[in-house]
Amino acid sequence: MARLAAILKALGRALGRDQKSIWSLAGNNFFIVSAIVLQDAGTFIYLIIGLVILLPLSTDPLRKIPASRLRLWPLDRRERWILRAVSPWINPMTWAIAALAIWMAHGKVTVGLWGLAAGLVASGFVLSSLKITRGNGLWRRIPHFPGPLNQLIRKNLRAILCTLDLYCALLLSVSTLAFRIALPALPREAFLVLTLLVTVALSSYAQCLFGLDGKGGLSRYRLLPLPGWQVLAAKDAAFLLVAIPLTLPLAPLTGIGAALMALAIGHRNSVNAPRPQVRWRFSTGAAFLPRGLAQVAAMAVVASWIFYYSALFLIPCAAACAGSIWWYGRSIERMLKDG
Amino acid sequence: MDILSRPAILCRNLTRRFGDFTAVDDMTFEVAAGAICAFLGPNGAGKSTTLKMLTGLLPPSSGEVEVCGLDAKSQPVELKRRIGVLPEDFGLFDDLTVGEHLSLIGDVYGLGKTLTRARTDQLLRVLNLEHGRDTFAGSCSHGMRKKTSLAMALLPNPEVLFLDEPFEAIDPVTSKIMRDLLQAIAGRGITVFFTSHVLSAVEQIATQLIMIRKGRVVWNTPAAEVPVALEQHYFDLVETPVAEDIEWLGSPRS
Repeated sequence: MARLAAILKALGRALGRDQKSIWSLAGNNFFIVSAIVLQDAGTFIYLIIGLVILLPLSTDPLRKIPASRLRLWPLDRRERWILRAVSPWINPMTWAIAALAIWMAHGKVTVGLWGLAAGLVASGFVLSSLKITRGNGLWRRIPHFPGPLNQLIRKNLRAILCTLDLYCALLLSVSTLAFRIALPALPREAFLVLTLLVTVALSSYAQCLFGLDGKGGLSRYRLLPLPGWQVLAAKDAAFLLVAIPLTLPLAPLTGIGAALMALAIGHRNSVNAPRPQVRWRFSTGAAFLPRGLAQVAAMAVVASWIFYYSALFLIPCAAACAGSIWWYGRSIERMLKDG
Repeated sequence: MDILSRPAILCRNLTRRFGDFTAVDDMTFEVAAGAICAFLGPNGAGKSTTLKMLTGLLPPSSGEVEVCGLDAKSQPVELKRRIGVLPEDFGLFDDLTVGEHLSLIGDVYGLGKTLTRARTDQLLRVLNLEHGRDTFAGSCSHGMRKKTSLAMALLPNPEVLFLDEPFEAIDPVTSKIMRDLLQAIAGRGITVFFTSHVLSAVEQIATQLIMIRKGRVVWNTPAAEVPVALEQHYFDLVETPVAEDIEWLGSPRS
């Protein structure tokens, strides 16, 4: 136990020094929007998705110890389990989220659902600590694209394939498609809402486009003789290549407009406040207020315009995205130049 | 100054400060085209910082840097087109295979598919990396990652090659392959500038030695002019090893 106490004490000290990760709240637009839109039913979403997203993601202090170092420490199996279970609770964020979940779910959630939530949280930890090898499968079958950004777009697509945001959006899209096949008379407005939900599910990734590149990847961007806008354009191309097919069964033009706005607004955080991401987790973008809210609001506005009025509203969306690529492309150059 | 007599690397009064700390202090040196220049110094002496400034990755606080006749500060993109770099962290994307990394360089440097494929095949063969062509960088060994990064640096046929610790943490065969390769490319006029702590490798290939201590140049001559064995010279000039017995590790065995 003395060994564990020493490790937890060191973790607490490391966490205390990294105040930013504790108090600058990480956010995932989909989780927050779902809770707001679904209200009472959102309690369940908040409890399940919120805990699964936030606990393992932004509040796991054990991530501060390199895995190779952790394996070297003379801890037995039982001690490692205790460390795994106790370490999240040295973070005040964990207590805050747990208190919020209990308050929101009070009297509404059965013991069984609590059990399910606990299971999902635990699986979030287990899944994220699994070493998933990029063997054959989808990773190698990414198509090639014309032009000098070919490999960068392929790499970015592979990165998106490693985020749970994509699979959440895919689930929504496929469910809607199945619903349409079974019950064709879906109300018209439902397409707008569902398209927005699909793009919102992806929107947090648009706030952390460089999150999975790692130190080596950022170092390579510095070495490549590419202007910053091309680096960003390769990121956006991969994002749109994922977002557009997912909105095809819904309202595709609306989806394109929302995706373009998600990128246009997300670039700022991606470039100016890069947040490292972890594979096989939901993306954590900026705190919902104000950046996430601005992103979702802009997406909702342009999606409504395109859906109800005219597809011509896609033009200002594309212009906003192009302008953002140019502007933040210059920021990337400055950022990379300053080391 | 004509192109043949112009030094490949020119540094004048180069200084880099991080707050109150001066990492590189008024450094001045030149490296001739086709030279293999070893840049030596203890950890934290300013080697990597200097390398970053020479490759346009870090702006100097003051002073001038010219590589291939280009100002590293005002012409960084053109400079990047003319140099190859093996960075300290290799600069690899976990989501690309070894072959795809080389294809990326071919695409970005506009080499064309045929030329990229031919050069990739040859580099992978020479570096004994053919077996790893389809391995994702995230799954590669340290040596494979280093060789991939070196192949990426060489693929566009650079005028100057910058290598940050190329001989560290690799097996003897890879080390020999790298040494032979660097000597061969220097023989074809490519300038090689590298940092290293492996003095045996430095002794074998370097034609110029620059030693630094606390951000300042303390020795800069052709390698042949080193008066004693390189290791002793390094100890004399740069840092003397501490000799202290650690008794609690046990008494010496006879």
